[in-house]
Amino acid sequence: MKAFPISSCLGFAMAVCVVLSTASSSFLAKHSTQAPANAPSPTLPRLPGGRPDLQGLWLKSAGGFQGLFIGSLDGTNLAAGGARGGGRGARGGPAPTRYEYTADAEAERLDRLKRGYEDPEARCHLPGVPRSLDQPGGLYPVQIIQDEKYVALLHEAMHDVRIIPTNDSPHPKSYWAWDGDSRGRWDGDTLVVDVSNFNGRTWLDMAGNFVDENEHVVERFRLVDAETILYEATITDPSVFLKPVEMRFTLKRVPADQQILEYSCLEGERSLQHYTEEDGGKKVRVK
Amino acid sequence: MNSRKSRLVFCSAVAGGLVAALALTGAAQTQKSGAPFSPARLWDGKTPDFRGIWQVRDTAYANIEGHPAEKGIAAARSIVVDPPDGKIPYKPDALAQRQANYRNRATADPSLKCYQAGVPRAAYLPTPLQILQSPGNFAIVYQDNHAFRVFHPETRPHFDSADWWMGDTRYRWDGDTLVADVVALTDQLWFDQAGNFHSTEIHIVERYRMTGVDTIEYEARIEDPMVYSKPWTLRTVLYRIKEPGARIIEDECLEDANGVRHHISPYDPKNLLKSDYSRWKKPAKK
Repeated sequence: MKAFPISSCLGFAMAVCVVLSTASSSFLAKHSTQAPANAPSPTLPRLPGGRPDLQGLWLKSAGGFQGLFIGSLDGTNLAAGGARGGGRGARGGPAPTRYEYTADAEAERLDRLKRGYEDPEARCHLPGVPRSLDQPGGLYPVQIIQDEKYVALLHEAMHDVRIIPTNDSPHPKSYWAWDGDSRGRWDGDTLVVDVSNFNGRTWLDMAGNFVDENEHVVERFRLVDAETILYEATITDPSVFLKPVEMRFTLKRVPADQQILEYSCLEGERSLQHYTEEDGGKKVRVK
Repeated sequence: MNSRKSRLVFCSAVAGGLVAALALTGAAQTQKSGAPFSPARLWDGKTPDFRGIWQVRDTAYANIEGHPAEKGIAAARSIVVDPPDGKIPYKPDALAQRQANYRNRATADPSLKCYQAGVPRAAYLPTPLQILQSPGNFAIVYQDNHAFRVFHPETRPHFDSADWWMGDTRYRWDGDTLVADVVALTDQLWFDQAGNFHSTEIHIVERYRMTGVDTIEYEARIEDPMVYSKPWTLRTVLYRIKEPGARIIEDECLEDANGVRHHISPYDPKNLLKSDYSRWKKPAKK
């Protein structure tokens, strides 16, 4: 028996997407406030049980919240010394998200902004949710493998893995993780994932935006067409934010001739060689 | 194969019991029991279904060669099945290197730094792995350091222009056996805690074969002309973890004050930032 090619389902998918791709760019604007009725779409690739087939290799498309290189969810421009209002809109992306921090948390954010070297991802730690998906645009894909019991996200970045059961099972007790604990269910054609049990160590970006152990995320994955997943996340954290933070971007299917690669960060990590000791690194500052 | 078939005629009634008995003794020789097992299929009706959470029960993670007991590590025989003496056929210089590695193992084992384990080491760690599968897809997620391998169909050439920590894997089905060809591994890895090692020239052929509903025989044929005088083979058994609710849990390491990383369980309250990090969560203002 020969191996089954990964791309075996793509022929059908591509025929469908040619029609829909022109519509997808305006999709975000049309659906920015309300998801459409969950009428099953006859054109989506599906698994035998009828659920949308999210499988494949996906890449956050341009216009995501965390831009290329300068990772800031709220438009903070690190290159400009931390002033807010960086060039998000100029790149055609969605308007900057405005976090509304509690007073204590805002002081903490500003403090962390000055110490970007403490960003856990810079030390090769797991990014947490939703940062695992909100990687700088176009850099790291996610491979999705799915069956009737789970949807597994294999992220190239940080070789981060989430195996999400889709049976709406409850969160465990006394479990605190970088990526939290993900429990999924299907709401019509939308995969809704409830993420809780965070350990409070993760940042949301490179600019000091952060959450603590009270973070709670509700994610929605919807296959818009065979080439596009619309991703939405609502982040609540009552001890950090005054109101929920909404995030939305699209994942586009990676052409079938490309593959996920291995990520190694801790192995061969050299960034700490370049930080001075007072910045938490190993380099001695030359006076 | 002929003898296997003839045994089947006479022994099929006891074959299941025989497999179970061998499994209980931790024997890695179940393929000789003469009980060809036909695994369940995925929903395409064709692909053998290897899905599940699996883990070995031996202590090869400490030393793939036979070893006496040490503190916390049970004695075990070698999982090297070829050559028959259970010894890795090192070239003389390489054997000297292995001995040096062994002497320095308390500090030199790359796994102490929470690195991804590599192949085949990830298969026989004392932590579980999960096989994710759907028609056309096969991946293994290892709990240890959340490493994973996406198995790519052999119809595509190896991506071997770089050295990877988990190698580059291409697979095909040989009947109900998954055969994986692995190359492009870094030479910074060990096979175990005892300093057994390889070079970047290593080429591994893995074979995954279900020998029962709850057992996968795992075999790796290893060649590396830089290090060994001839190819050799290791073989062990992965057992299905059947506890209800069993799952791969997050495995991440935390740095201590000296920058040394230690695994920490997500069930340990110390994994909470507020438990060990005093700067955030200042006392509430009055």
